[in-house]
Amino acid sequence: MLKRAAAMASKDLKLSVSGGQGLVQAVLLGLLLIFLFSLSKPLGGAISAQAAGAIFWLASAFGLVLVFNDLFAIEEANGARMGILSSPAPVHAVWIGKGVAGLCLLLVSQLVFLPATVAFLDQTVHGPWWLMLVTLAGADIGLVVIGALLGALSQGQAARESLLSVIVFPLLLPVLLSGITLFSMCFSPGTSEGFDGWLGLIFAFDALFSGAGLFLFPFVYSGEE
Amino acid sequence: MKVKILAALSGVALLVHQYMIWHYAPVAQSGPVQKIFYMHLPCSWWALVSFFVVFVSSLLYLFRRDPAYDRVAGAAAELGVLFATLSLVTGSVWARAEWGHWWVWDPKLTTALIMWYVYAGYLVLRSTPMGRDRKALVCAVLGIVAFLDVPLVFFAAKLWGSAHPDGLARQGSGMEPRMWHTVFAGLVAFGFMWGALLLTRAGQLGRMARLEAMLVWDDEE
Amino acid sequence: MAPAGGALLAVKRAAKFYGSKLVFKEVTCEVRPGEIVLVAGPNGAGKSTLMRIMAGLSRPSAGEVTLHVEPECTAYLGHSTFIYPGMTALANLGFWGTMYGLSPSREELTALLARVGLERAAEEKAGSFSRGMAQRLNLARIYLVNPRLIFLDEPGTGLDPRSLALLRREIVAFRDQGTSVVWISHHVREDAALADTVLALGGRRVEYFGPAAEYEVEVETC
Repeated sequence: MLKRAAAMASKDLKLSVSGGQGLVQAVLLGLLLIFLFSLSKPLGGAISAQAAGAIFWLASAFGLVLVFNDLFAIEEANGARMGILSSPAPVHAVWIGKGVAGLCLLLVSQLVFLPATVAFLDQTVHGPWWLMLVTLAGADIGLVVIGALLGALSQGQAARESLLSVIVFPLLLPVLLSGITLFSMCFSPGTSEGFDGWLGLIFAFDALFSGAGLFLFPFVYSGEE
Repeated sequence: MKVKILAALSGVALLVHQYMIWHYAPVAQSGPVQKIFYMHLPCSWWALVSFFVVFVSSLLYLFRRDPAYDRVAGAAAELGVLFATLSLVTGSVWARAEWGHWWVWDPKLTTALIMWYVYAGYLVLRSTPMGRDRKALVCAVLGIVAFLDVPLVFFAAKLWGSAHPDGLARQGSGMEPRMWHTVFAGLVAFGFMWGALLLTRAGQLGRMARLEAMLVWDDEE
Repeated sequence: MAPAGGALLAVKRAAKFYGSKLVFKEVTCEVRPGEIVLVAGPNGAGKSTLMRIMAGLSRPSAGEVTLHVEPECTAYLGHSTFIYPGMTALANLGFWGTMYGLSPSREELTALLARVGLERAAEEKAGSFSRGMAQRLNLARIYLVNPRLIFLDEPGTGLDPRSLALLRREIVAFRDQGTSVVWISHHVREDAALADTVLALGGRRVEYFGPAAEYEVEVETC
């Protein structure tokens, strides 16, 4: 199964990097959002650390939707979904494969968003760095688990990006709130008191929806028309 | 028949409830505006029950694949969004009168708002054109995921509120027994109404499906 | 796994509803080793739906489907080509090999491509292929899997006469080496001659299930 998941992920990454528009769109839209929000900076004032965190995670959430729409659209072009479902490959290989590919693409786009947040929104990373990295990893896993589970549900729809955003954004709220709070701790020089509750929330979210995804993905990704 | 009985019961119970609100329950310290609470609370409660019904019937659909469960989930989600809307509006009016703001960061209120968003999205998904079986499956999955999210959202809202000094906690204490009686009557009255609406809507959806089966020819090969 | 002389696939009293709309009911049929079963019927009779149920892609609303071969030994070829346009023909084939739990070498893959006449296009992106070439690449996927049971859902749609002739030849060749084929075709008149058994759907039930030689095509069901 892991071998098939790896084949799935590497195929998706190759296709996304070489020909897909999802990653490019995600990076461009995120950069644009960060720049546009920098216009809300008051004259002579500064954008608060919390606002910067919120903008960063908003850009990431939009990126997530675009990335996963693109990943699941790969199979729809020539009906390959039926091919995969009729093969002996377990359907969870698709979930894991898409999840891993999505995580890589999301991390790549965040590599662009983070410096952009620092530059456009005039932030300094005070650290601690480990907190920032753990937050990033944990919250990204949460985003990706939901993205890989629900990304398939809007396939075949005309306005699938907007449909997916409307559905996914409110569900992601616990992770987004945690990400925003923890990032604002890292962007401000003060203490990072109370981070443990937020980290706990992130990992509870990851664990709960990984389990739910394992059970529910075969229902979303089915041959039913 | 069941619907008629429930509707009649809810009519009587709602009248009794209104009487209790205005003539039985004492006026609270904050003045008569507190009486909106007697309608706010049942709406929130039954909205939450609706979402739970969506969750349970979604699970049942996944296991049994009976379209009736799918219709119950759809009807319950519509009711849930309706009751959540009423609860948000009454809550907002109350907050304005009590604290001078239309919106305060309260974990329960925030959770209600987020769940309103989630289930409104669920209804959007329900109304998108898609094959019947596929739509039922996909909606059932979302119905389960959405309900699993409720406790996490509540916890997040609570953590957020504790870190932000503008967060205000609502006091539920200091209620007299007569107030509690009114609250309880409201829960029962709204429960009858909720049951009648749910059965009516699920029945309607069932008849719609039957009509569709008689009228529409699918051109799928 | 199949009992000697027994059916590879048995469908027993299957029914399918979409919501409350009946597509078909009381469908009972079986596929024996080494035969071609042609599925005929007008548009909307539920041919594709039945095939998806046979292939395990969709659940019947009632009745049961028993498959006496491992899922590794079945292959599905629909009117869509299952091809990733952004990958080369070789990479496409390699990917499907992995999905089926095989690890074919490059030489084996090239040989398969040569068998369908695509050896010169092996390193080309599949997106540039014509419909006929894409369907031939799809055929190579079936060779790779080497199945005992093949589901064909109108594979001939939109093919040029040459590719169509190749496809027909290959279907017969598969049968002759003992593979069973379930085949939905729009050209019933021509293709019934190649088939052993005909399953005709119509009026939301089975109209005919029996030897192809005794099946009479009353109207062209195109």
